[in-house]
Parts: sequence; C-alpha cells; structure tokens
Amino acid sequence: MNHVFGFVPTGRQFARYALMTALAAMFVVFGHSTAFAQSVIQGRVTDESGNKLGGVTVRIKGGTRGAVTKKDGAYSIQVGAGEKVLTFSLLGYARKEVNIGEKTTVDVVLNLESQLLDEVVVVGYGSSSKRDLTGNITKVASADIQDIPVPTLDAAIQGKAAGVVVTQGSGKLGNAVQIRVRGAASVSGSNEPLYVLDGIILTPFSATLTPTNPLVDLNPQDIESIDVLKDAAAAAIYGSRGANGVVVITTKKGKVGRTNVNVSLQSGFSNPTKQVEFLNGQQYVDYLLLSGAGADRNRARLGIAVTPANSRVGFVRSFLNDQSLGAIPATGTIDPSRVPNQNWSELIFPSNVPTNQIDVNINGGNEKTTFYASGQYFEQTGTVVGNKMDRFTTRLNVEHKVSDIFKAGFNFSLARTFNDRLAADNAFSNPIQAVAIPSITPAINPATGLPIGATAEDLDYPLYYNPFLGIGNSYRRTTIIRNLGTFFGELQVVEGLKFRTEIGFDIMNQNDDQYFNSVTRRNNGTAPLGSGSFSTQRIENINVNSFFSYLNTFDEARHVLDLTAGMSYQKQNTIGNTVSGQDFPSDEFKKLTAAARITAGSSTETEFSFLSYFARANYKFLDRYLISVSGRIDGSSRFGADNRYGFFPAASVGWVISQEDFLKNVEFLSYLKLRASYGRTGNAEIGNFASRGLFTGAQATASYNGNPGIVPSQLANPSLTWETNDQVDVGVDFSLFSNTITVELAYYNKLSKGLLLNVNVPATTGFSTIVRNVGNMTNSGFEFAVTADVFKTDDFSWRMNVNGATLNNEVTNLQGQIIEGAFTMSRAMEGQPLGVFFTPEYAGVDPSNGNALWYRNTLLADGSRDRTVDSVYSRVQRVAAGNPIPSFTGGFTNTFRYKGLELSVSFNGVFGNKLNWYGVGRFSSANALFEDNQTVDQLNSWTPTNRNTNIPEARYLTNNGSQQSTRYIIDGSFIRLRNATLSYNLPKEWISDLGVNNVRVFVTGLNLLTFTKYVGWDPEVNSDFAVTNISQGVDFYTPPQARTFMFGINVGF
Amino acid sequence: MKFSAMKTKVASSLVALGLSVAVVGCASRLDINPINTIDGANALSTDQGVKVALTGAYAGSNLGSTNLLGGAMMYCSEFLADDGEARFAGTFQGQFEVWAKQMVSNNALATGMWSSAYVTINQTNLVLANLDKVVTRADKEDVEGEARFIRGLLYFELAKYYGRFWGDGDQNTNLAVPLVLTPTTAVSDADNRPRATVAAVYAQAISDLTRAEQLLLEGSDGTRATKSAAAAVLSRVYLAQGDFARARDAAQRVIAANVYSLAATFDQAFNEAAAGYTRENIFRMSVTAQTGTNNMQQFYSPAALGGRGDVRIQASHLTRYEAGDVRAGFFNISGGNRFSNKWNVQFNDVAYIRFAEMLLTRAECNFRLGTTIGAAPLADVNAIRTRAGLPALTQANLTLDRILAERRLELAFEGQLLWDLKRNRATTITANPARSWTNPLFIFPIPQREIDTNPNLVQNAGY
Repeated sequence: MNHVFGFVPTGRQFARYALMTALAAMFVVFGHSTAFAQSVIQGRVTDESGNKLGGVTVRIKGGTRGAVTKKDGAYSIQVGAGEKVLTFSLLGYARKEVNIGEKTTVDVVLNLESQLLDEVVVVGYGSSSKRDLTGNITKVASADIQDIPVPTLDAAIQGKAAGVVVTQGSGKLGNAVQIRVRGAASVSGSNEPLYVLDGIILTPFSATLTPTNPLVDLNPQDIESIDVLKDAAAAAIYGSRGANGVVVITTKKGKVGRTNVNVSLQSGFSNPTKQVEFLNGQQYVDYLLLSGAGADRNRARLGIAVTPANSRVGFVRSFLNDQSLGAIPATGTIDPSRVPNQNWSELIFPSNVPTNQIDVNINGGNEKTTFYASGQYFEQTGTVVGNKMDRFTTRLNVEHKVSDIFKAGFNFSLARTFNDRLAADNAFSNPIQAVAIPSITPAINPATGLPIGATAEDLDYPLYYNPFLGIGNSYRRTTIIRNLGTFFGELQVVEGLKFRTEIGFDIMNQNDDQYFNSVTRRNNGTAPLGSGSFSTQRIENINVNSFFSYLNTFDEARHVLDLTAGMSYQKQNTIGNTVSGQDFPSDEFKKLTAAARITAGSSTETEFSFLSYFARANYKFLDRYLISVSGRIDGSSRFGADNRYGFFPAASVGWVISQEDFLKNVEFLSYLKLRASYGRTGNAEIGNFASRGLFTGAQATASYNGNPGIVPSQLANPSLTWETNDQVDVGVDFSLFSNTITVELAYYNKLSKGLLLNVNVPATTGFSTIVRNVGNMTNSGFEFAVTADVFKTDDFSWRMNVNGATLNNEVTNLQGQIIEGAFTMSRAMEGQPLGVFFTPEYAGVDPSNGNALWYRNTLLADGSRDRTVDSVYSRVQRVAAGNPIPSFTGGFTNTFRYKGLELSVSFNGVFGNKLNWYGVGRFSSANALFEDNQTVDQLNSWTPTNRNTNIPEARYLTNNGSQQSTRYIIDGSFIRLRNATLSYNLPKEWISDLGVNNVRVFVTGLNLLTFTKYVGWDPEVNSDFAVTNISQGVDFYTPPQARTFMFGINVGF
Repeated sequence: MKFSAMKTKVASSLVALGLSVAVVGCASRLDINPINTIDGANALSTDQGVKVALTGAYAGSNLGSTNLLGGAMMYCSEFLADDGEARFAGTFQGQFEVWAKQMVSNNALATGMWSSAYVTINQTNLVLANLDKVVTRADKEDVEGEARFIRGLLYFELAKYYGRFWGDGDQNTNLAVPLVLTPTTAVSDADNRPRATVAAVYAQAISDLTRAEQLLLEGSDGTRATKSAAAAVLSRVYLAQGDFARARDAAQRVIAANVYSLAATFDQAFNEAAAGYTRENIFRMSVTAQTGTNNMQQFYSPAALGGRGDVRIQASHLTRYEAGDVRAGFFNISGGNRFSNKWNVQFNDVAYIRFAEMLLTRAECNFRLGTTIGAAPLADVNAIRTRAGLPALTQANLTLDRILAERRLELAFEGQLLWDLKRNRATTITANPARSWTNPLFIFPIPQREIDTNPNLVQNAGY
C-alpha cells in the first residue's frame, strides 16, 4: 500500500483530504510493491545535536528499494542477502553511506552538508540538492565572499561562477555593476539578470545621475547564499523575466540552539590599481614644440607657405608662455630650470584612503522561534578625490512555528546609503580629466595662492576646467533609503503538501542633491552665480507569491515526486520629481530656496505590472532517473494589447549513472550524472509603455516661451511583445576518489528571437527609432567548474576551485539594421558579436613621411578587401575590428588551511576582448594633435630620425592618425589577483577564559595584481556616460578599481 | 483543542488570503496607462490639441533645438566658412570637424540637424493635416501660416546645408533632401524617400513661405512667425537664387510694414533687455530660464559670462574693420582670448534674422539692379554705417564690394557667412589651402545613419 493512504481524515480535514487525493491519485500507478525481503533493518536518524530527522531517504546502495524516516526519525527497511550498504540522504545534510554488517539496528547521525553534491541550491519557489539537479545553477555561499572587501555582493562573486561575468566598469563607489549570465541576450532590452531576494523581485538600478547599483543597499554579510539560475530549465519558472538568468539571493536565518553574538571590525585603506603616466613639464614643452615643428614641416610639404605669422611653432611658444603663467618665455631660449612641472595625476588619487566596517549580528532560537538580527556600518573613501560613501543597514529575520502545520516569518531590512558621487566620466569636472591639463600649468596659482581658476582673473586657466575646484565648492550627493520586507505564511495542508504565501515589498527612496557654487562657474557655465538641483525618486515594488508545493515518496522511496504550482503578481510604481535652479546670492547659499531662477521642475509617475501562473514537476525514479518539467504564463502591462500573455515552458532530464549496478563497483568514480535541458524564457525589459503611440507635454521638449505644447514621443506598435530565448543545455557532473574531485561540465546554446529592438527608421519620418520584435542573436559556450581537495588531513587541507567559460556571441539577424553605439564605433550588426567595434583599420606609419596609414578595405568584386594602405582617411572603409565580449572568462581559487590558519587566494581572468581607448586617446594619445597632455608612449612618434614607429608624426592642430581607427581598439585581456585573505582562528584554549566563543583575525587584499596589455587605467572598464548593451568596453577617463588592504577581527560570543 | 482550532482557522484564512490574491490578480491588473504622456490617437483631435501641437513645433525638441535655430543652423555656416578668424577651441568633436572642414559621414551635427529638422517638419505636417479641427477661420489661417513658415524655413536651410548651392551645377538635377509633406503615423518602406532636387526643395520653401506671408498677420513679438518674418526669410531664399528683384521686394515689404526698425545703438540689437531689441529682431527663438537653449551664447561666450568659450575671435578678424567702427569694439577679452559680445546674455533669445539685414539686402539688390525701390542703396548702407559710428559713404565710393563688406561686418558670426560667400561665388572661401565655393567640403554629408536605414538615399561627394 502507498503509505499516504494510512492517513485518516477528520471532517474538518476533508478539504485537505480531497486535495491530497487528487494529487495522490496521479501516482496510484506506483502503488505496487515488488520487494521481497529477507531481513529488516531498523533505526533512527538524528542530527549532530540529537534532533530527530524526519523525511530522510534511506536506500540500499545499488538496489531499488528504500524507505523514509518518520517525524521521530525512525525507519525500517527490508534488506536482501548481499545488500550491505545503506545510504541516508536529506536535503541540506551530507549524504551518508553506512555498512550494516550483521546489525539489525542502525542509528545514524547526519551532518550538515559539506560536499558540493549535497549542497542545497535554491531554485525558483523551492530548493533542491545539487545531486538531483537537472538544470544549471551555480551557487556561491557566504563563506566564499565574506572576506572580500567590497561594498556590494555582486563585486564579490566576480570569478566565482562559471559563465557569470561581473564587470565593475569603474572605480567609482556605488556605480552600477554589469553582470552577464551566459552573455548578452538582447540588443535594446536589459541584459542584467533578474534579482530575487527572499522571494521578492528586486527593483533594478536606479538612475537620476549615472546609474547606481541595485545591490548597494544590501549588507553582503547578511547573505547566506547566491544561486545563479543559468539555463532555461532553472530560469523558465521566472518566464518573461528569466532570459538573462536569475540571481536568487537568500539571507541568513537563525538556527535552533544557543544565541550567537558576532562582532566584527574591519579597517583598511585603498589606492588605485594603476595610474597612467603622462608627460612631465619639460617633456610636454619639448613634445609640443616638436608637434608645432611637425605641423609646419607637413604644411611646407603640402606647398603651404609657412611664415613667422602662421608658424605653429610660434603658436606653441605663445601657448606655452600663456599656460605656464609666463614662466616659459614666448620667444628666445627656454631655461629648463624655469619650466614648471605639475603632476596632475597625483592630485586625483590621494594615497591610502580609508575603509571601515563594523558588523554586529545576533542569531539563535528555540524549537518555535528562530531569529537573525544584524546591523552594519560601512564607510569607504574612493580612490578618486571627492568620492565617499557610507551605509547603515539593519536586518531582522524571524521565523515562528504557530503549530505543527503552520509557520510564519518575517524578513525586514532597512538601509541608508549615502554617496558623495563623482561627475560622469565625460564631464570636465571628472577629476581624472585633470590628466589632460598641461603639466606646465601649476595647480596653485602663485599669484593668488589659490587653486588655479578660482578667481575671476584666472578663470580661463588652466587649459581645461580645473576639476579640483569642485572640492568644497560643489557636491553630488545621493541618499538612498531602502526598505525590503517579506512576510510569509506556510501551511502544511497534509503531510507533503504545503501552501505558502509571500507578500514582499522593496521600497526605495532616492534623493540626488547637487550643488555647484560660483567658483565652479567655468564648468557650470550656464550659471555663473552657482546652480543646484534636487531630485527624488520613490519606487514602490510590491510582490505577492502564492504557491503549493508537494513532496512525497512512493513505493519504498522508488519514486520521489516534487510538485510546485502557484501564481505571482508584481506591481511597481515610480514617482519622481526634480527641481533645478541657479543664481544664488552668494556661495554661502546652497539650497534652491535662495536661487533667483528656477530653471526646471517636474514631477513624473510610471507603473508596470506582471501577473503570472507557474508550475513545476520534478520526478525521480530509483534515485537515478530525473525528470523535470516547468512552465509559466506571464502577462504584463508592458506588452502590446494584441500580445499580452506568453507561455514559457522548459523540460530537463538527468541520469545519475553512478547509481546503476554496472558502475557500483567502479571505485574511483563517486558520482556521475548526465543532464540535459531545453526551455524558453523571455525578456520583458523594454520600458513601460513601449507599445503605445504617445505625445508628451514635457516642459523642456514641448513648451515654448511660457506656452504649453505637445510633441509626439513615440510611434505605436500594438503587437510588441517579449523577446523569446530558447536555450539548450547539456552537462555532465562527476566526482572522483570519494568526492575528492568534483567536476561540472556544461555546454549551452541560447537563441534569442524576436529581439526587442529599437529599430532605426529614416529620421525623415520625424522619428529615429521604433521598438519592434526584430532579429535573432545567439550565445553559446562551454563551462566548467572543478573543485579538488588536493590535500586533506585534520590539520592541513588544500582546496582548489577552478572555473571557466567560453562565450561565442553573434547577432545573426537584424533584418539588415545597423545600430550604433559610443562614438558610432560600437555596433550591433549581423554576423558580428554584439557591440563589435566598427572602424577603419590602422596600418601604422609611413616611414618616409610620418603619415598615419590605414588599410583601404574597400570591398572588391571578388568579395575580398583592398589591402592597399592609404594616408587619406576619407578614402578608407570601416570594418568590423574587435569584439568587446571576452571569449573566455574564469576564476581560480586556492584555499589552504593549517589548524586555525587559512589562506585563500583568488584570481580571475578575462580573455579575448577588445577595449576602446579612443575616448581618451583622441586627445591624450594623439601625438599632440591638441594641447592636451599626452601619455608618455607618444614620445615615440615619428620623426625624421625615428622612422620605424607605430605612432605618426606629431603635427599640432593637424589630425594625423588620431581619427577613429583600430589604433585605439586595444586588447582588454587581463588576469587579476582579485583577492587574497589570510586569517587565523585563535585556539579555543587561548580565549575560553575570556568568555568568548571564537576569535578570528584576518588580513585581506583586493585587486592586488593585474596583468594586462591595456594602456588605460583599468582593463575592467565600462565608462558610465557611454555604457549600453552595444557600447561595451569604452574608456573615457574612467577611474580604475581600488587596490584595498583590510585588517579585521571577528569575535563570537 | 480550542487553541488548535484557532490555529486551523488562522491556517484556513491564510489559504483564503492566497486564493483571494489569485482572484484579484485578474487580467484588469495589467491595464496600466501612461501617466506622464497622452495617447497619440486623440492628441490632435481638438482645436486646442492642434494649437498646442503648433506651439510644440517651436519648442526645444523642434525648431528651438540646439541643432536648429537654437544654434547649429547659424554657427555651422560660420564654422564652415571660417578661414582662421574665429578659431573653434572646444572639445566637441562634431563642432571641431565642421570648423576644421574635416566632417565624416557620421558627424554629430550633420546627423542632429537632419533629424531635428525632420522632427519639426513632421510636427508641422501633423498640424497642417489637422487644420480642420481648428474652429475659427482667423485661427485656422494663423495656425496654417505659422506651420508653413516653420516648414518652409527648414526646407530652405536643409537645401543649403545638404545640397550643392543654387547655381553650383544644375539645381534641377542636384539633390537636396527628401520632401516629406504628410505626418508619420506608422513606418513602412514608403518612408524610404529619395532626395528631391535642389530646385524642388527651394520651390517647396518658396511655396510655404509665400503662403505663410499671405496668411499671417503682423505681430510685435518676433518669437513666433509673422507676416514680416515670412517675407524676411523669403528675401534670403531669393537672394540665394540670385533673384535680386524678388529678394529686394521681399525685404522692402518688411521695411515698409514699419513694424521693425534699427535699434538706436548697435549693442541694443543684441541685448534683449534693451529698448530697441524687439524692434530690430524680426524672428528669434525664445529662451527663458525654463525652455529653449541659446547655443550661440554657449559657444561664443566665455566661461565668465556662462558660456563654454569655444569660439575665439582672432586678431586677423579685427583687420576688417575701419577705425572708429563700434562693431570692432564689440568683443570682450577673457583669459587672454577674444569673444564676440553678440551673445553675452545667457537667457537672451536667439536671433535668426535682424532688420539690419533687410536694409543690406535691399541695398545690395537695388544696387545690382540699378533701382531705388524703397530707398537708394546709399541711404540703406549709410543707415548701417551711421549706427556703427562710421562716416557716411558717398555715392562715388559705393560699390558692390563695399556693400558686401558692410554686410559681412554687420552680420559677423550670425550664420550668413557661408551662404553670402557661396551666392557670390567666392573663389577662396579659405585661402590656405585654397577652397572655392563649390568645394564639396562645404556641404554636409547625408548622415550615415540615414544612408544605413534608407536605401534610396545617395551620399554627397567626398563622403
């Protein structure tokens, strides 16, 4: 008999009984027992603390029969002759094999999981053991990230998960981080994964200045695990939101037992990972004169008469005289001892800026109630002057068992994040742009004793706005109050069947307060008497999830069935308002109440909603055959009226071959599983009303001279719908030598169809783009992850983790569209990877005259390209010349433990991508086309005595090779020593008298070494003013990452 | 037992809550409408809807755009024609390329001017297609007149920037820009329109401006289209065609209307707060603290006065002025560089056409034709000279070159230089290297994005 029929319903329980019957009836076919027994083994299963464990699957190794422990931990199983080994497994605990010998009573203690295979991974609306998983999910546990000194957890998972590429893009604190799970799947929609925290879909980044990171308000120390749902089988339960992968974040919970109090202090300092070297004062003078002479020589060659009046050398001399504030004479000999030498880079990066962090958490609980409470204060000063953030976070997670069948819980966090931000990369007020200022101009004007440019007399000095004038005279302050909360109730309807409802909210309140006083007026040109703005944004994001889950075993645990079905609703409302003004009575006034002119003001509101139904069935037969099917129906207010609902199915299978008889005796093979999945997900990130034809009355665009106006803002496309992703994933997981080596291999191929595309239309229509479902893109790749316990004894262990992923991205169809990105050098175009650099191909320098050369690359009749080199830029064709997407990414971590001492060293690497240095190079590595200070490599430019070089002749104000070309498309591969941590757990005997439980001291370093050929500040770059799906790998005076050292102590009471 | 029953109740309510959420989660929850914007289908269905759409045609996203009369349509003519008298020292690549005569097909200004112009043209087409919604006849005439004025002005400017100049080869075969005269509701292959000929685009401009002049009334506020504004732009169109009689007559109509006149002093013509400003400026784009952008001020004015200080006037320019010319002193020095005073005030409107130009046009045309319609050329030229603090010329030393030189100084940096040089067939717009008025470097490229999206477009020579 099927054991669920042993249940006798009372009248009150009739409804439950009916439900249960309906579910159970489906599996009546399994209700036959075929076992014949020779003896019965009985026993009880408990955890380490002696708590009885129910629901443990007990099974005969290599056999087909099994049993499940009751609530009191008791089991009994019939064992045949020769069947000597029992396995005990329960989600969250290490699987255990026990040799029964001649015993008839076998009591077993299960330990919490320690092996990768027994790890619990979080799936959408449930959890699973890695052993039973048929989809592709990578888990990063708290232990993997706890010591990495970064303010946000996404930065911590860099290099930890195969196929998950984290690009910080900038060293600015709190800026948006880009995460790509198995590549970019969309051209115009978002490519960021969906973030789900304790069941709530998080609000994505918020942008009123440059985008901020949605995870900046989370305390990484509160995170129990991060599970990245990579393939369609795992992500399809999130339907039209799952195409970019799903990052499921689970916060820590209290555990039954003693109350633990943990206090942790960390303190350290940061410096930039790299500074780019620019010309010093004398080099600058010499090189600019060289450039003037080069220009004159070239003009003479072109038959243009060079006279003292039009000589560029003469022009340079007067410029040097002017910009050195007269220190360099305009005519006659230049005395080297009088040439000023100002290192502007030094001013950008003050050394050893501090970071401090204090954490306190208390957790514990009893049989009925568990809790986890935490608080953190974190402050970090950016490596670029003027950048600073701090954050307070608090969290309370409580779970309470109301009765044996009903529990409820509450997770709540409140965070306040303050960020003194930097200007966008392309602003003159970005401190990094100070590198462009000639090194002959002093930072402090000797005549005034003030920073140069601070007074009306020297306002137009230096060459460009002095960004350091902003220090103390301007600010860009972002304050975010973020409140995340979930309330849930979970009812056990009958044994095995649970119903859970979660109501969650994510409320974000962001203020951006900006102020620029009169000292900054050269940069803030439109407001000589100072200006300011204040913007607020409130985002309310409400989630409701209600679902049934059913887990049961049938027929002596031969069949395990895990069912989930439910619905979900999400609504997000965003209101914003902003006001700008200018002209303050004096620099003492900073608030707009004193501004003479209010130059702009508005309030806006927008909303979207999703209504979804989902279901999943997992079936496991004989602990070795695994099948899973899932589906979600998603409706959204975002989609056109003609296409409001979509269906997103997925199916996957797995075969644990190592459980088969024929592999039972292969000693070295501990585990072997083949798996395959296929499914469909969608991308719905297109903005809220993309399908509508709309008119706006926005003041700045539509009204005129005090009169209201309207203008069309977009054309209608009522058939607009989500973007579809079909993904196949095949993999093999195995472990060797008693799980000493665990290997996961996967291949995937993801086809994105009906791309949500901002299709270019002829501008003669009055519109530039219309959003249509057009085009295909593919991403495919191999992934591997290996964990090896190289050495393991009680005292000493060495664990090695290696992961890597290849990625091949191609835009396969855009219906002939070409969509351009930054500098019109980045493109989406057919047959090329997304964001391919499309630009003339640089061919070096003509040794005879110093002219820059490019390959003509004109398409010839036979399909080949004309490889003739040409010095006339307008005659050369642009070609696809570099992929911004790395072809291989990986991470490598070694962890050594000796008694209480632990050393962990992590590298990550990115290979095969190109970066675009043109944004900086056209000014600063431009063989002195302009007066911008130059990178030192430009000293090697062509001269009559230095003919074999790749840098063209310097010709002041004559563009010789500084046009867009592959000269500025540079290999972006790098290997970085991302993190090294040395920690020591003080021996118990040293500390027991102090009344403390444990003491751990550690020192950790971030971004310690970087190996790259890239010439800019940092190869991990995505300039904030330019970055889009297409504009990838663009550098524009972008601050490098910080190299940080931290010292810390954790004390547990 | 009682407690357990209560708990079961709690549990049951939870189930009920979950189910009720499922029930309220019905399809109507997906019906969310835009809040900041309105549906396009009904936007122009009323009298007021059409009128506010007409206002929108002047706004910052339309005619007042920095790509159009907010600045670029004036300064691109000046930048292209510059031969070292006004150095562009800014960092904007697009502007630098125009000034350096090094434009490439994706030049930001060539792209921006094209798209903003057609945004505005579409807006005027929307208005013109919905004239039947306007209730009174007087309103209808005004709305139609204003919309045609804007459209005609833009087609004229586009023809000059993107096509070979009138008379440079055959304007009946030379290509200008596509003619779009109906509003866009959806995009299809029919929108891949070819370039119309220079002659056809001029004809459209003349037709629109002529009709506008007929329909519009005079007004004292030059921030919107008026009868005189239409006539003033028409005088430019005819002048470009070398049709001096019609150019003269159009200028004469403006002068004779007696709505506009010279400001008492030269500086008043450029200072919105000054008494004569409104009377001198025939058509200008409104700039207030909240709407409109004065990009002439941004580029020509130094940081001390709230600009970028990008266009620096060189000493060579000053040699053009006679001693005592107040216009020669209409510059300021900041940070060692010289800047024009014409756009010194940040929230000043951006002037497009001034009364002084009408006098100079009438003088030139009368001189060329040997006529004295309205006034003798000498009187017109001397009116300008007198205000500039210069002695009057005599009939004996009045030549065409002197009239043109006077025009160059009076209108310096105001956006007419390239067109004046081209219509006068200048052999050396730049002397070193020598480039004549037919040099293709003085013509904008058709934006690369248009070439890429519309297979029926032909690129200009040299790109």
